[in-house]
Amino acid sequence: MTRKMSAGWMVLLVPFAAALWAQNADYQPDPGWQAPPQAVAKQNPLANRPAAAAGGKKLFARNCAECHGEEGSGLVKKSSADLQLPIVQTQSDGALFWKITNGNPDRGMPSFSRLPELQRWQLVLHLRTLQPARPPQ
Amino acid sequence: MHRNLKLLLIIVLFTALPAGAQEAPYFVTYDHHLEEPGNLEVETSTTMGVPRSGQRFYFAPYAEFEYGVTGRWTSELYLEGQSTSGDSAVFTGWRLENRFRPLAREHWINPVLYLECEGINEATRIQKEVVGNAPDFGERNSESSQTHAHELETKLILSSTVHDWNLAENFIVEKNLSQNEGLEFGYALGVSRPLATLASAASCRFCRENFNLGVELYGGLGSTRGFGLHDTAHYLAPVVAWQLSDNASLRFSPAIGLTHESNPALLRFGYSYEVRGFGDKLAKFFGGKP
Repeated sequence: MTRKMSAGWMVLLVPFAAALWAQNADYQPDPGWQAPPQAVAKQNPLANRPAAAAGGKKLFARNCAECHGEEGSGLVKKSSADLQLPIVQTQSDGALFWKITNGNPDRGMPSFSRLPELQRWQLVLHLRTLQPARPPQ
Repeated sequence: MHRNLKLLLIIVLFTALPAGAQEAPYFVTYDHHLEEPGNLEVETSTTMGVPRSGQRFYFAPYAEFEYGVTGRWTSELYLEGQSTSGDSAVFTGWRLENRFRPLAREHWINPVLYLECEGINEATRIQKEVVGNAPDFGERNSESSQTHAHELETKLILSSTVHDWNLAENFIVEKNLSQNEGLEFGYALGVSRPLATLASAASCRFCRENFNLGVELYGGLGSTRGFGLHDTAHYLAPVVAWQLSDNASLRFSPAIGLTHESNPALLRFGYSYEVRGFGDKLAKFFGGKP
């Protein structure tokens, strides 16, 4: 019985440990990089068009995956944010949009204001689809 | 070592990851967007001048290597040449430019400071900027290429994004350190917009979102010896950029000369290829820490 339980834990823990190893669990957000209140309150104009997230996925692969990884889990060598973390996902759409628009050039995050506004909102839609690859609690 | 460099070039070209380089289509005007840190953009462009009577048709190609040093500093090296019909082909020099973005965030107007050192000769025809009074393009290459000029050029770049339109204004001051010509002035204005603002789900080459259209206006404003529009060249130029793939783009601009001192028309073509993570790849190749 004990051996069966250990094997079960192993099945759960190995993928969990692997996911943790691949993710940038050491990511430390920049406390000075905060969206102003009016930006935080902005609503996503594409919120009622979830199909637009597919375009966001393409944009993410082009513009963001190099530093944040295909799954958005961040890369340790780039010190980039794990976008699946609650600290990111609990931010409002407006705050994420502001961060994509402005970037944080002193911490290596470029501004993506060169992308049209709707495409930046498409990126926010896609960010909402990023789910942590973790076993259920 | 030579073999290693070839290998490096092959690795860089074939392992480059896609980059979303949706850039402004301008040839002369700069906007406030800098190269992403660690990325290298290699560009080859050409300025073709359609002459007035008594002048000759010329073809001025240049190569451009743009590297994102940090999030707020981009450095660029130019190598340029020129070929004139019925004359010769000559190397016309190099330029090293640096752009600095003083403000970290996006604002209504985003300033960028530009500083360029040039080691060129009087045979240069690329016209990456138009300053001072109209140049004399009637001289033969064998004579004009003998007159060398070390120049220092500064620009104040102001650029805004308004409802997906980019508006950019450049104010140029140039000083020829080799001759006592005073300071020369010029300007460049640009406005552009992508054809579509929503990205489609499919990867496509001919989607409207891959095209960026705009128009540029640029010209000289005389010098400290005579400021103004007298005897200056000015051009109005529609511009179009086509994002061929995730990391390659084509640009084209037919410019129309607005004054008698301008060429009647300039045709500009450009092809750029962005190598993402070039800095990391280079560091790794030489055994350093990326």
